[in-house]
Amino acid sequence: MLTFSHFILGLFQALLLLAAAPLVSGLSRMVRAKLHTRHGPGPLQDYRDIAKLLTRQDLTPPNSGFAFRAMPAVMLTTVLVIAMGIPMLTRFTPVAPIGDLITVIYLFALARFFFSLSGIDSGSSFSGIGGSRELTMGVLVEPVMLLSLFVAALLAGSTNLGAIGTAIADGHVRSATATVIAALSFAYAIYIELGKLPYDMAEAEQELQEGPLTEYSGPSLALIKWAMALKQTVVVAWFIGVFLPFGSASGMSFFGLLFGLVAFAIKLVLIFAAVGVVENSVARVRFRLTPQHSWVGVGAASLAFVFYLVGL
Amino acid sequence: MIPLSLLIMSLLLSCGGGILCLLLKRREGDIRLGGSGVGIAAALAGLGAGLTAIGAGQPAVLDAAGPYPFAHFVLRLDPLAGLMIAVISLLSLVAWIYGFAYVREYAGRGVGAMGFFMNAFIASMMLVVAADNAFWFLIFFEMMSLASYFLVIFDQDDEAVGAGFLYFLVAHGGSVLIMAAFFLMANRAGGFDFAAFRAHPLPAPLDSVAFLLAFVGFGAKAGMIPLHIWLPRAHPAAPSHASALMSGVMIKIGVFGIVKVGIDLLAASAGPAMLGWGLLVLAFGAVSSVLGVVYALAEHDIKKLLAYHSVENIGIILLGIGTGMIGMALHQPVLAVLGLMAGLYHLLNHAVFKGLLFLGAGSVIFRMHSKDMEEMGGLARTMPWTALSFLVGALAISAIPPLNGFVSEWYTYQALFAAALEGTPLVAFAAPIAAVMLALTGALAVMCFVKAYGIMFAGAPRSHHAEEAREAPAAMVAGMAVLAVACVALGLLAPLVAPVMGRIAAATIGAAPVTLAVGATLLPGDAQQATLSTPLIAILLIAMAFLPIGLKAAFAAKRGGDRKVAAPWAAGYLPDHHMPATAGSFAQPIRMFFAPLYTLRRSIAGRWTGIALGFERVVTLARRTEPLADRSVIAPIVGVVDAGGKRLQAIQGGDFRIYCLYIVAALIALLALAV
Repeated sequence: MLTFSHFILGLFQALLLLAAAPLVSGLSRMVRAKLHTRHGPGPLQDYRDIAKLLTRQDLTPPNSGFAFRAMPAVMLTTVLVIAMGIPMLTRFTPVAPIGDLITVIYLFALARFFFSLSGIDSGSSFSGIGGSRELTMGVLVEPVMLLSLFVAALLAGSTNLGAIGTAIADGHVRSATATVIAALSFAYAIYIELGKLPYDMAEAEQELQEGPLTEYSGPSLALIKWAMALKQTVVVAWFIGVFLPFGSASGMSFFGLLFGLVAFAIKLVLIFAAVGVVENSVARVRFRLTPQHSWVGVGAASLAFVFYLVGL
Repeated sequence: MIPLSLLIMSLLLSCGGGILCLLLKRREGDIRLGGSGVGIAAALAGLGAGLTAIGAGQPAVLDAAGPYPFAHFVLRLDPLAGLMIAVISLLSLVAWIYGFAYVREYAGRGVGAMGFFMNAFIASMMLVVAADNAFWFLIFFEMMSLASYFLVIFDQDDEAVGAGFLYFLVAHGGSVLIMAAFFLMANRAGGFDFAAFRAHPLPAPLDSVAFLLAFVGFGAKAGMIPLHIWLPRAHPAAPSHASALMSGVMIKIGVFGIVKVGIDLLAASAGPAMLGWGLLVLAFGAVSSVLGVVYALAEHDIKKLLAYHSVENIGIILLGIGTGMIGMALHQPVLAVLGLMAGLYHLLNHAVFKGLLFLGAGSVIFRMHSKDMEEMGGLARTMPWTALSFLVGALAISAIPPLNGFVSEWYTYQALFAAALEGTPLVAFAAPIAAVMLALTGALAVMCFVKAYGIMFAGAPRSHHAEEAREAPAAMVAGMAVLAVACVALGLLAPLVAPVMGRIAAATIGAAPVTLAVGATLLPGDAQQATLSTPLIAILLIAMAFLPIGLKAAFAAKRGGDRKVAAPWAAGYLPDHHMPATAGSFAQPIRMFFAPLYTLRRSIAGRWTGIALGFERVVTLARRTEPLADRSVIAPIVGVVDAGGKRLQAIQGGDFRIYCLYIVAALIALLALAV
């Protein structure tokens, strides 16, 4: 049940993640620079970028309308709300009505809806293509996400993310193989969702994620950059909360939560380091070949489903 | 008896309204005012009838003798019929409000006739869902098809007439199958009353035959794939408020029929066969939902796009209903109620948001005089209220939380999840696949409605008309606003609406009321249960929005004023107005990735074209056989007479001296005879 303390915990972890998100993306940039053997910016560079952008003028294209203006706020808001529902420091979901796998997937769709719409609304052709591609990726990734989480949910007996995580942490799942394969396919879907190479280059203009950003500037751009960093962090936290809940607190005790926080931070940094290595050792995949890759995800998730059915 | 008297009042008002529209003939201003006024009154009475029937719990029955000794005229308002009547009334209420301004588009082209057919259409739909006798059910079903047929061909152009013919064919093919199913049951029951059908269940193989006949027949009406082919042609051809009724309500009569036959009439007899029916419904639902939205994505015509989405949503409704039937077959009342409730909730929601979207499209067409999205663009500035309502509808149909589409899809997922957990191996295999199909559908629907809203309302105007468009008249905006508010309300008030839907589902199944969806939780008493709370999501979304807005405001003093600049980031390279995304280019990746599915559509369409061609061949043959009698009997006689006449012409030389000779000859001949 949703109690006041759970609610506060949810709020706390959302704001904590918001504060840490530029650091995480800054670390990603550091790893990238190291792998390119160049002096990159420090880990705090993204904070400086955001602070600078917040004081710049907000330029909007003449044909843009409501959707273009509303998008940065909508996106940051949505991701913050999702962050309140995902189990991070604890096994259970802090705000249970949000920590449901279906609700989370569809809340991401809310962000995606406005993100892509702003691309059309800006009137720029690059933005429009970016919006179209972003949605196409959603089409390719969402079924994989749903199937892998659905298998995990079936193994645990509930679609609540915390319940799935708890079942996995306690080993109360009917099939360990199915769980591992579901985790792998979910990780794959999450990786595509992160918008990193080989599927996307978040730093490059006119790529999928930067596409709708082409016409943004100043504080709006600052909010979007922050929201994108937060989204990447939340997506990884989602994976940790469901499939790697080890070390997180099962109650509301202070030290339990503190330990959970440390464990969560370590897991987060490790995963982002691994992601950094992967993204810098591959080349960009042509967009029209992406379905061939996403079929691998579908295949893996289906395999997990088969293992679940057989009960191995 | 309150529900029944309200229903009869509503029907009488509709009849009166229809006759009034005809009597007023050419006084179109009066028709608009009178027709809409009476229509609104009828709709309000119907809404009252529906809501009280849902609240009453016990079915209200009216048994009148009627003119035919073999078929009693029985009306029965159970909660399910009440829900349908409420949905019909809500949509017709809005259609009448909207139509008051909208029918000006049709001035001078028979507004009176349109009003008459609208009234007939609405009244016959209400009678179909309330009828409790197979004979009358079929009569009203035919009336409904005919009235809507005349609305489809209202434009009288080639496309409308062609679409109307296809619709006519499919609707009547469907009703023949339904008739066959009812005859099977009537044969067993010894009468046409549904009550007798319920009392005399069909034996084992026959019940499946009856269900399959009815499923295909009603499925054709509902527009499920592959019987959908008429839908994307017929719905766009009708006037927009009629399309809203057809897409919002009429195709639901098909779903209602499937529930009526599969769950209400045949439930008592259904043994193991029911599991098969449920899986069949589930399979058709999954295929319809994915293919419907894939085809919608490729459309440029906004009304066609919306019509394909109706196919998709019928699929989603069928997913819920199929799960409900599986639950009944497995004797799990909770699963049965959950599934049916998800389907019925989505039925209601789809009626509301699809009605809204069709009305929104109608408003745009009213100003643009074109259905092609490529000519629109930037309408959010010129038609802000229409844009806002359309956006609400677009978010709702894309199942974006916390709006109503999301709530019913969430329940559908939960029903599928429960089925996968507790079902037999076959069900455990099928349900998650259906869930994945639903996820794919959801993602594609988001893409489709970003495209629809974006290309129509966002960005720069793509044509002169779009630049000069004005906001739709107040009555039309009011109609859309009612439905937009309903979208939000049915979403945010889910904790109140869901238990009502659960009660309707339980009453339909005949199970003891399952305590479903109390407050936020799905089922009470289980801490691990999945929960949904749209009010909480809405509150959090609003509360959290203060953070980015505040952040932006906090730095406002530090920066110069915000500006609107033409292409500030173009870097010396000025894009022209042909370059922004179009309806075609936006969906291009999907058309590329899902190419096989589009090929499939062409081959299905080819099959249907084959059927249409077959009909044409029959017509040609008939044309050829019809003159056979002429040729063999009448033509020879005519020929002989003709030839004789030709010969006789020889004596008619034209020279009057010869004629005189004839007269003399005749005189002599007569004299000779006399002597």
